[in-house]
Amino acid sequence: MVKNITIFTTNTCGYCQMVKTYLKAKGMGFDEVNLDHEPHRRSEAHRLSGALTVPVTVVTKTDDSQEIIVGYNLAKLAPAVN
Amino acid sequence: MSKDDTPKHELVIVGAGPAALSAAIYTTREDIETVLYERGVIGGLAAVTDIIDNYPGFSKGVTGLELADSLRNQAERFGAKIELGEVKSIINGGEYKRLVTDSGDVLARSVLIATGSDYMRTGIPGEEKFYARGVHFCATCDGAFYRDKKLVVIGGGNSAIQESIFLTRFASHIDILVRSKLKASEVLIKELQRFIDSGKITLQIGITPKEIVGDANGVTKVVGVNKDSKDQDFICDGVFVFIGLKPNTAFLANTKVELDARGFVITNQDFETAVPGVFAAGDVRSGATMQIASASGEGATAALRIREYLEGRTREVKNNLSAAA
Ligand SMILES: Cc1cc2nc3c(=O)[nH]c(=O)nc-3n(C[C@H](O)[C@H](O)[C@H](O)COP(=O)(O)OP(=O)(O)OC[C@H]3O[C@@H](n4cnc5c(N)ncnc54)[C@H](O)[C@@H]3O)c2cc1C
Repeated sequence: MVKNITIFTTNTCGYCQMVKTYLKAKGMGFDEVNLDHEPHRRSEAHRLSGALTVPVTVVTKTDDSQEIIVGYNLAKLAPAVN
Repeated sequence: MSKDDTPKHELVIVGAGPAALSAAIYTTREDIETVLYERGVIGGLAAVTDIIDNYPGFSKGVTGLELADSLRNQAERFGAKIELGEVKSIINGGEYKRLVTDSGDVLARSVLIATGSDYMRTGIPGEEKFYARGVHFCATCDGAFYRDKKLVVIGGGNSAIQESIFLTRFASHIDILVRSKLKASEVLIKELQRFIDSGKITLQIGITPKEIVGDANGVTKVVGVNKDSKDQDFICDGVFVFIGLKPNTAFLANTKVELDARGFVITNQDFETAVPGVFAAGDVRSGATMQIASASGEGATAALRIREYLEGRTREVKNNLSAAA
């Protein structure tokens, strides 16, 4: 079961838009960390994902385990949030 | 007799970039039931471009995301349905073509291939190893990680120059490695000159990239070979690669849709491929001009040809039925 979802995004990132579109279509809520507005959190996104890219989607389950999806990757995102 | 309950559509459009969405605006307004499949970003390459300055009707330019949103909303307003998923292959099946998608098969009386193209890779050592950890193909996605850092951009065409200019809002300095000569439009070259003059960008002409080098923290340099066949180091924190585009046509490998030597779809002047009822428009088409305005125009024209095809098919089926009666 999903407890919460956080997406790291930037203003210009089309793939970030797609992660949000997908979650909205499924009626799922999420928190957004926009790195253009909060640049100091870039290192957090990097630490979590190991990558220098957005979107990074952090899916926290009710048992507090986390799944981290780098990029817009439906094959990984869909099972993680279902 | 078992009934085939595979979903049937009048038109399936593969892709949801400018060509596809423009076609969908036209077909849905003609009351042709239309479903689009998109495996990446709705809006296609246009949606991952920062500012589009040459799409008619926007005197001050428009951001790629805004244009993508408008095209999508317009197509959906008239009833286009967008499925998030990939078309894996098309099986020619007479009146209905079977499309294999990652969420199951669908049947379509007509198909529009509007799958555009994707960035080519250099294939040099280090590119794969440091992918997304210092090697990138999307400036609007990953540029923000390079605030006050040094970058290398590989490529000398419109995309490379446009993306380098975008990256100047983050990077402290950019070396653009160009193998032979710049192949960008005059407007872009003029804009580029401003950044060369201010010292933010250095053009490195005659450099062939050889290797991307790094350590546990990411990329540290690009090694290139200069005109004298000598290795030259370009110290950097990240590399963006824009060396051209290859058509997204791998999924057509086992079909009768004809491709040219570079893999682009061959059509006649009505945008129809070698398979009746299967059309192609936009960047994926052999001879396309690789611009958003022309992709949209091709989408609109293909939509009108598809309408004629569907009307013809309806007449043909009715004639066959009355002949058989
Ligand atoms: C960096 C850059 C800057 C540019 N700037 C400009 C500019 O300023 N002005 C301009 O006019 N043009 C510009 N262009 C070119 C412009 O983006 C393209 O010409 C235009 O997007 C082509 O539209 P399209 O619909 O044919 O293809 P695309 O935009 O490539 O869309 C095709 C879509 O199909 C999807 N797809 C592919 N295969 C499948 C499949 N099997 N199943 C489902 N979906 C699939 C892809 O994910 C993609 O979203 C630029 C291009 C780049 C790379």
